[in-house]
Formats: sequence, C-alpha cells, structure tokens
Amino acid sequence: MLRKLLKHEWKSVSKILFPLNLGIIVLTVIGCIILSTDIFDTKNALPITLTLVMFYTLSIMTFSGITLIYIYVHFYKNLFTAEGYLWHTLPVTRTQLFHAKLLAGCFWCSLNSLFTVLSTAALGFAAGFHASKDQIDAAQNLFIDGFSSNAAGETAAGFSFSDIFGFSPVIFVILLLLTLLTACISSVLMGYLSILLGQLMEKYRLAAAIGFYIAIYLITQTLSSLAMLVPYIRLMLSGGDNSASFFNSFFSTMIPTAIISQIILILIFYVASLFLIRRTINLE
Amino acid sequence: MILLECKELTKKYGNHTALSNINLQIESGHIIGLLGPNGSGKTTLLKLINGLLTPSSGTICVNGKPVGVESKRVISYLPDHTYLNGAMRVRDIMDFFADFYQDFDPMRAYDMLAKLQINPNHKLKTLSKGTQEKVQLILVMSRRANLYILDEPIAGVDPAARDYILDTILSNYEETASILISTHLISDIENILDEVIFIQNGTIHTHATVDDLRQKEHKSIDTIFREVFKC
Repeated sequence: MLRKLLKHEWKSVSKILFPLNLGIIVLTVIGCIILSTDIFDTKNALPITLTLVMFYTLSIMTFSGITLIYIYVHFYKNLFTAEGYLWHTLPVTRTQLFHAKLLAGCFWCSLNSLFTVLSTAALGFAAGFHASKDQIDAAQNLFIDGFSSNAAGETAAGFSFSDIFGFSPVIFVILLLLTLLTACISSVLMGYLSILLGQLMEKYRLAAAIGFYIAIYLITQTLSSLAMLVPYIRLMLSGGDNSASFFNSFFSTMIPTAIISQIILILIFYVASLFLIRRTINLE
Repeated sequence: MILLECKELTKKYGNHTALSNINLQIESGHIIGLLGPNGSGKTTLLKLINGLLTPSSGTICVNGKPVGVESKRVISYLPDHTYLNGAMRVRDIMDFFADFYQDFDPMRAYDMLAKLQINPNHKLKTLSKGTQEKVQLILVMSRRANLYILDEPIAGVDPAARDYILDTILSNYEETASILISTHLISDIENILDEVIFIQNGTIHTHATVDDLRQKEHKSIDTIFREVFKC
C-alpha cells in the first residue's frame, strides 16, 4: 500500500513541483547564456548586473520558498481539510500515510536544494570562464586547469584542497550533499510536526500550526547558533597561524557539527510526528 | 451477523459532549436511517465509525475488529461535503479508488457515469456541485462493501436528483451489506428504510424497525420524527 500511496503522492505533487524546479533549470540556462555574452563588458553595465543578480537571487529564493510551503500545504490539505476524509478512510495505516507524504516531501525539497546549489555553481563557473575570455587562450586554460586541479586536491598557492577545507574534494562534496539532505529532511519534518501539533488544538488549528512552526524555528535556530559557537571557540583557543589552517579547522568542525545537529533534530521531529499522527485524529 | 457494534461510545469536544454512552448494534442486510435534528451528533457518530475522530471513551467494532485498516476495507463512506481533490479528473479519481479498494468495480462506475453523461475526462472542479455529489455517490456505491455509510446523501439536491440518488443506492448495494443513512429529509427516504435510529442531544432516543414503529404509533416515520424533535 505504501507503494500505491507513493505513486499517487508523486503524481499529485509533481504537477506543481516539477514545473517549479524546471524553472530553476531554465533560469540557470538563461543566466549562463547571458554571462557568456558581452553585456557586462560595457562601462554602464553595473545597473543591469545588479538587476539581473537581484532577479536571479529572488527567483531562486522564491522557488525554494514555494517548494517548501507547497510541501507543507499539501500535507495539511490532504490530511486535515476536506480531503482528509478521503485519505483517512483509505485502507492504510496513518503511519503509511505519513511516510508517503514524508518521502515525497523530502525528495522534492532535496531536489530543489540540489538544483539551487548546482545552478549557483553553474553560474559561478560560467562567470569565471567568461571573465578570462578577453585574455589570451592560455588564461582560459589556466582557469580550467585551476578548476580541475582544485577538484583533484591541488592548488597553485601551495595549499592542497584538504589543507583549506579539511577534507578531500570527494569527501567535501559528499559532506555538503549530506548537509543539504539532512537540512531538507529536518525542514520538511519541522513543518509536518507543527501541523500535527496544531491539530491538538480545539480551534484555530492552522494558526496554531503556524505559531508552533515559528516557536520550533526560533528554538532550533537558537540551539544551532549555540552549537556553531563551539567550533568558533575552538578556533579562538587554538589560534590558527594562517588562513588555510583557520578554514581547515572551520570546515572540518562546522560541517560535521551541522550534520550531527540536523540528524538529532530529524530524530526528534520524526518520533514526535509519528507519535502524534498515530495517537489522535480529529478532523473538523 | 453483527456488522457494527458501538459500546459506551462517548465523544467530547472540550466541555461539550457530542455523543454520550452510545450503545448500538447494526446487523448485515439492513438499511438504517440515522435520523436527528442538526447538531444531534449524527455526523460525529459516522466520523467516529470511519476513524476520522478519536473517541473520548468507549469502543467501536466493525466485523468484530476495532476501527482501522480492516474496517476501512469494508466500509464505503460518503461524507456530507465534497472531499475529493477538485483538480483531479474524474478518470483519475476512478483509478485512485480502483488502486486502493479491492472491492471497487470500475465497470459499474463508468456505466453509471455514462448514464449520467458525465465525461470522465473532465476535472471535478469544472462540474456543477450537484454533479460532483453524483460522482462521489457513484464512487462510493461502486464498491462492493459490507457497510455503506452515507452522510446526508440527498441534502442540497433537487427532487429529481434525490430520486436518482436513492435509486442508485438501492440498485447498487449488496443484499448482504448494510446501509447507514444520515438525514433529516425523512419523507424522502422512509420508504426504503428497514430500521431507524433517532438521535437526540448525543444519545440514542429510539432504535427500532420501521414496521414496529409504524405499527406501534400508527404514524409515518416522518410524523413520529416531527413529534419527537418538536421545537
């Protein structure tokens, strides 16, 4: 039954989120094309540059925001409005319902985050590549060589990738993806938990859910800010002798701390959500 | 055979008691009218049976098992409002039901759609309210369920549509199944009922067969209802 739920969940969610994420790809392609033109080479290009950068940033933020909000709204609408009469009378357990929504939500949220990161990277690469266009061909080769040697763990300045980032490039990318994934799962679960907590109220359940979301958000942000202080304090106490060792300590401590704290949040949100959805359902 | 059994069933919303100590048994092969004025607790009882509300106390068993996956497999429920995603096409909703309910008969459903000239390729939200209600009824009655629970199936539709709905209900339910219909439009349905349950202020006032009640009171069910619930 979970497979059937996932199938219908996928069909339902994709109608909105597929075009939305396609928008990021289109925006990236357009951005790369613009960056490969001479539009920014004129003297008065600054206003156009700023406008386009602002447009791109706002668009990407909007796409990400809409994706997450849509995932929350979809969960709420399906399970706790009139449509809940359909979903809750299907011959499936509430746990299966919850897992189907969670898997679909996490997938789309992660995909959206991945597209956002890749889009930014693609534009950064396109801008860097174009910047060396007016130089001799050797400069472009130098840019590509520099990019590939960085990816291979070497830099011209004498510091390897590992010296600066604390990890080999492959491990670094894996850790970044893991950070992205855990952040997405925890964001989706935080929304679901808030909605489920809102259902405990007799009245104004949606408003209560929003209130719970803000409260949980503030608590988690405060706690994660405190958790992030640990690496800073460690850095202060160790007193790195150069910028490479500073960044090395920063990244090698910060990324695992972020991942571990997200995993802890995921576990808390998941267990609490599962407890609530199994315990009571009182549709209005 | 006892199909549905409620024991000491109570539902409270804060300080308000919607249902109080309901004891009820429904057997297979009957059409039962759940009758009562607005706010008497009809919809609350139906929602509890369908697992959409959690009882404050008491138990509900369907085919001897508590409300859960097994009970949902054998109950076909029509709520008192539109509950389907309006953005879905009628055909997609049919596929949805066929996927989840083993007892759903798509042939029967498409046949009824054709008789009503409802295009399965249309999105639900493009249909009129009355047609949407008919689609919902078709979905619910196209299942070969043990218990059909219909909450106000004829409220808000014109008399011609009422006849169609009642005809659809009668011609599509399994003889061994039971139908629990909640309504306050008694005169329209009293001829099809085997039993009636009068519910008042969250308690069962009367539970009897229609024949017994008519013989005892020498009045129609509609008249008895008006007397019992006189304001």
